[in-house]
Amino acid sequence: MSQDLNVGNDVAADASEISNIINEMIICIKGKQLPEVHDLAIAELSKMVAENNLDIRDSNMLSERECVQKILKLLSDRKEEDGKTVSDYFHELHRKLTLINCVPHMRHSLMTHLLSMADNSDDDKSSANEDPRSQGDNLTQILFCRLDSRSSSSSNQNEMELVNRNGAGSSHSYDSSQSSFGFRKQSLPNYLDATKMFPDSQHDVVMSAIYSFTGVQGKYLKKDVVTGRFKLDPQNIKFLTTGQAGMLLRLSELGYYHDRVVKFSDVSTGFNAIGSMGQALISKLKEELANFHGQVAVLHDKIQRFRLVAMSGIGYREDRDSGDELTLFKLLAWYIKPLHRMQWLTKIADACQIKKGGELASTVYDFLDNGNDMVNELVEDLLTAICGPLVRMISKWILEGGISDIHREFFVKSIKDVGVDRLWHDKFRLRLPMLPKFVPIELANKILMTGKCINFLREICEEQGMMKERDELMKVMESSAAQIFSYTPDTSWHAAVETCYQQTSKHVLDIMVGPHKLLDHLYGMRRYLLLGQGDFISILIENMKNELERPGLDVYANDLTSMLDSALRCTNAQYDDPDILNHLDVIVQRPFNGDIGWDIISLQYIVHGPLAAMLESTMPTYKVLFKPLWRMKHMEFVLSMKIWKEQMGNAKALRTMKSEIGKASHRLNLFTSEIMHFIHQMQYYVLFEVIECNWVELQKKMQKATTLDEILEAHEKFLQTILVGCFVSNKASVEHSLEVVYDNIIELEKWQSSFYKDCFQELSARKKLSKIVEKSEEEGVYGLTNNMILQRDQEAKMFAEKMDIACRGLEVIATDYEKAVSSFLMSLNSSDDPNLQLFGTRLDFNEYYKKRDTNLSKPLTFEHMRMSNVFALNSRFVICTPSCQE
Amino acid sequence: MPSEIITLQLGQCGNQIGFEFWKRLCLEHGISPSGVLEDFANDGLDRKDVFFYQADDDHYIPRAVLLDLEPRVINTIMGSVYSKLYNPENVYLSKHGGGAGNNWASGYSQGEKLQEEVFDIIDREADGSDSLEGFILCHSIAGGTGSGMGSFIMERLADRYPKKLIQTFSVFPNQDEISDVVVQPYNSMLTLKRLTTAADSVVVLDNTALNRIACDRLHIQNPSFSQINNLVSTIMSVSTTTLRYPSYMNNNLIGLTAPLIPTPQLHFLMTGYTPLTSDSDINTQQQVNVRKTTVLDVMRRLLQPKNMMVSTGPDKSNHHCYISILNIIQGEVDPTQVHKSLQRIRDRKMAQFIPWGPTSIQVALSRSSPYVQSNHRVSGLMLANHTSICSLFERALNQYDKLRKRGAFLDQFRREDIFKDDLNELDESRETVDCLVQEYEAATREDYMQFSVKRGNGQADSKSEDSRSKTSAGS
Repeated sequence: MSQDLNVGNDVAADASEISNIINEMIICIKGKQLPEVHDLAIAELSKMVAENNLDIRDSNMLSERECVQKILKLLSDRKEEDGKTVSDYFHELHRKLTLINCVPHMRHSLMTHLLSMADNSDDDKSSANEDPRSQGDNLTQILFCRLDSRSSSSSNQNEMELVNRNGAGSSHSYDSSQSSFGFRKQSLPNYLDATKMFPDSQHDVVMSAIYSFTGVQGKYLKKDVVTGRFKLDPQNIKFLTTGQAGMLLRLSELGYYHDRVVKFSDVSTGFNAIGSMGQALISKLKEELANFHGQVAVLHDKIQRFRLVAMSGIGYREDRDSGDELTLFKLLAWYIKPLHRMQWLTKIADACQIKKGGELASTVYDFLDNGNDMVNELVEDLLTAICGPLVRMISKWILEGGISDIHREFFVKSIKDVGVDRLWHDKFRLRLPMLPKFVPIELANKILMTGKCINFLREICEEQGMMKERDELMKVMESSAAQIFSYTPDTSWHAAVETCYQQTSKHVLDIMVGPHKLLDHLYGMRRYLLLGQGDFISILIENMKNELERPGLDVYANDLTSMLDSALRCTNAQYDDPDILNHLDVIVQRPFNGDIGWDIISLQYIVHGPLAAMLESTMPTYKVLFKPLWRMKHMEFVLSMKIWKEQMGNAKALRTMKSEIGKASHRLNLFTSEIMHFIHQMQYYVLFEVIECNWVELQKKMQKATTLDEILEAHEKFLQTILVGCFVSNKASVEHSLEVVYDNIIELEKWQSSFYKDCFQELSARKKLSKIVEKSEEEGVYGLTNNMILQRDQEAKMFAEKMDIACRGLEVIATDYEKAVSSFLMSLNSSDDPNLQLFGTRLDFNEYYKKRDTNLSKPLTFEHMRMSNVFALNSRFVICTPSCQE
Repeated sequence: MPSEIITLQLGQCGNQIGFEFWKRLCLEHGISPSGVLEDFANDGLDRKDVFFYQADDDHYIPRAVLLDLEPRVINTIMGSVYSKLYNPENVYLSKHGGGAGNNWASGYSQGEKLQEEVFDIIDREADGSDSLEGFILCHSIAGGTGSGMGSFIMERLADRYPKKLIQTFSVFPNQDEISDVVVQPYNSMLTLKRLTTAADSVVVLDNTALNRIACDRLHIQNPSFSQINNLVSTIMSVSTTTLRYPSYMNNNLIGLTAPLIPTPQLHFLMTGYTPLTSDSDINTQQQVNVRKTTVLDVMRRLLQPKNMMVSTGPDKSNHHCYISILNIIQGEVDPTQVHKSLQRIRDRKMAQFIPWGPTSIQVALSRSSPYVQSNHRVSGLMLANHTSICSLFERALNQYDKLRKRGAFLDQFRREDIFKDDLNELDESRETVDCLVQEYEAATREDYMQFSVKRGNGQADSKSEDSRSKTSAGS
């Protein structure tokens, strides 16, 4: 076969030459006749050639030369119009035939047959028409088959194809019904044309189809500029039969999809998926294309070889099998699978346009649920390819904490502008649009956590230790990208991620709780910032007493620091870990006009390093919380240490003046005890019920926690609950009435100090007077001057007036106070938080306020609830009350 | 150092309960009888320096001043294993050594005479404190030294330290048995006046109730002084527990007492304690029956009169009420249980409160010492300001009036300076106590806001013989 390749064209040319000559010969023998008769003759001949010519040789012992002689003899009596004798022409034809490199015994058998044809040329005209089927045989085709060794075992399909092609050759109409009539009308030159071009067009059509598979335009198929689809070339359309054209068009579809896939896999078009995962998809597409091209190349190869053989001549390989010839039908059968595949590739690639990362993976993942195994497999292949980079990114992230994500396609992002101090809370976030559908948010969070922990350990804790079995885990993780989108998260990949997560978060937890004493620090903040360490706070206040009451501008932080230190030294705080105490600091805010020390001094907890990363975000909350707590302590201090203590002390000193000031001081005492009750209940509620109770909860959670985030989350929640409990984030009315209560306490303190000042002034005046009396007694001068008595009376009168005014002033404060408390209680009672309701009832434990203010009982009536339209409150209250009675 | 409190122990009774108190504190803080911190006591949760100070050599020394006019009890103390605990300079024994002979006037005069020496000690102690918060005085009101000298010292303290709190643990005599101290009503009356005027807060330890509780609740037939004193020391130690084991609230004496005392006069506090067990109980039953007591149980029981350490007598008109209550709860307490219990008490109206002002049950959860085994899961002490305490004063008034009408036993009083000229002091005392009773009665009414003292008629002086008696009431 190898030498055939260079002579392939000659073979084809020879075959057509031979067939032309034979045609002419038949015309010479039979004369001009109807095409069908001629066809019949040719068919007969070709059939004879195709089937077996040995019989002819055996039965007819005449040599080729004798046959030619006899034919010439038979033809000698016929004459052509142009003067040339038919026998001369035939002879010439035979000479031509011998000149052509043709198999001798084939020429011999041809001649034998022609002889017999010439013999019967007159009488068997009618009988030739008997077999119309034979007209379909194509001489050229047969010759070609004969010349090509492979075509020996021609299949049925091959014959069918031949029939079709013969029909199509005479008409370009796609209507197959016309084909049977078409050839009737065909004139001889047409017929000759068709036979002449036949071997070429057969190849061309198939070639054209095969070219179209890879998107190359062929002789018959051209691309539509707009749609990119193939269409039949209008110039060459006439050479095609309807069937051929239809088949070509159908086959060309594959080329269209191929083109689209090519387009999607070309980075320069802009239709491609982007990012490294997109690259993975593109390379996978390219791989698919390469596979496909390979298949097409095989086809191409096949047809080339066949053509070579056809060219190299009929005679040499007629004994070799030639049934595997490519035809459009074969291609139709073949193209189904690749077409399907290309279609799906197109569909997927189309959906993936300009997508990247997780979005891309999600898009492809959507195609995964397909009943068709091929599609399923294909999508899985693609997804596996796409997930490759993702899995590598994940494993890099959770094993090394690194992100190499230039395309921003990883679902974890690191925010550049965020500094190391906020690494834990803000630096790393999920990039949700990039989160593939098959990665649930919990898993994504775990992955985020793991890498975050590694970064945290490295950047902040300066821990360099890598995880145990790191390489193994890496191997496991990267070996099986497909597992990431497994339906059930129980693959070795998931297990490896889980292991990483567990190990890393445990490590961080151990480090934070261990060397960095996270829990101790939380406890420290609870004790010092949330005033849990009562003795420390009271000593601190005692120490800073003077500073606290000074105008804000005169308070200096450096003075306070030493006071803080001494308070720490002399209370139980001294037993605390110095590590914790060192974080405690007192700060002075910038004073506003009228601020005193109380308003601007606050405690704060300074955290560094790893703790800062954890706790920095909660510091503002502590700051916010400290304020109301500090204010409450302020009130308690004013009430107990100043107002109450003064009252107790002065009661002894002013006993002699009881008749004058008794009424006022009695009122003062009772008012003080009323406020005292309020403040103490308030403190008890906030410090115990809110902070302590929630702290106990938090502690339980912290003990159970297995990851750092659990602790931090619980801590966050703890702070939020306290914020509500401390009336910080409540309705403004609550805060306002509380503020009025506090203001009145300050008022009272001022009032009291001026009251006692007046009292002591009066007292000393009296003492002075009695001293004068005593002195005069000693000196023997009895009595006082009128002037003195008058002055004294005047003073006493003034004092009495002052007391009156003071009493009225006190009443004003008391009224204001009571109003504020009432409205505070009102808002507590009508609150929908059962805890606040209970606090309300506790504040009014002996129903003192309720008796005084009938409005207060209203919130608990059905009427009120209905009016305020809070049925939820109603039902909750009903449910809650019995449980509280338990 | 922080909020220090100086304890003054006066007289037999005062020294005895003081002794028990210090024993108890040593036990709770893990301090050995010689004042050295035990090895196991190092958890740093307690605050020792309120009641102790640390000498250079790691000895913990009580801020206690021991005063007596006769040597018996102090000698017992100094002869015990705890002798090295106290600072010997703080132990003052009258050189005279004859005691006050259960005579208030004698105690008072001797106090006056010895005041320089006594206040040397007290001033030194006070100077040694960074921020002295106040004094705790342990004494009985019936005897001579505790009542008389105690009264004098109280008055002086109020003068010298007007800004410091004076709290007393005052033992009231047993009313059920006839006292062998015949002038006891005089002594009580005179002391009560000082308790009313000079002290800021008085924790009443009523021997009547203590004996009754020992009999009824602890099933001890004839309770000994040590058993009674055990009860007293429990009350004293628990009532100071929030000072010694600081937490979020009530960490100083003022914070503890201020909410309990609405007006300067109404500062007599009752106590109640539950569950009650004696030493023998603990020894015999061991930890066999650790009772499952809940917070509600404890709070409810505390409101029952039978657990009160003051015998107020039946309240016939049922008008007496709580002015204020502080419950100090120790043990394993679920914090959420506390407010549920409070709610329950309120709903069931288990306690009657004053009508003239807001009040409620305050709760202080306190740690208890890790070194003292308790066979109860939860225990509670109630400090209450209850108007029925005036029945105690009424009783004292009655007894006084009986004696005073006859003018009995007044000679020995006249011998002292204070009564040299007249017995006005007695009448003034009676009037003060009468006012107090009036005020307590008024506090049960809604119009207490408009209360003003109506001066009663002063009792006519009546002279009577007084007789010396040998034993003091509390001891």
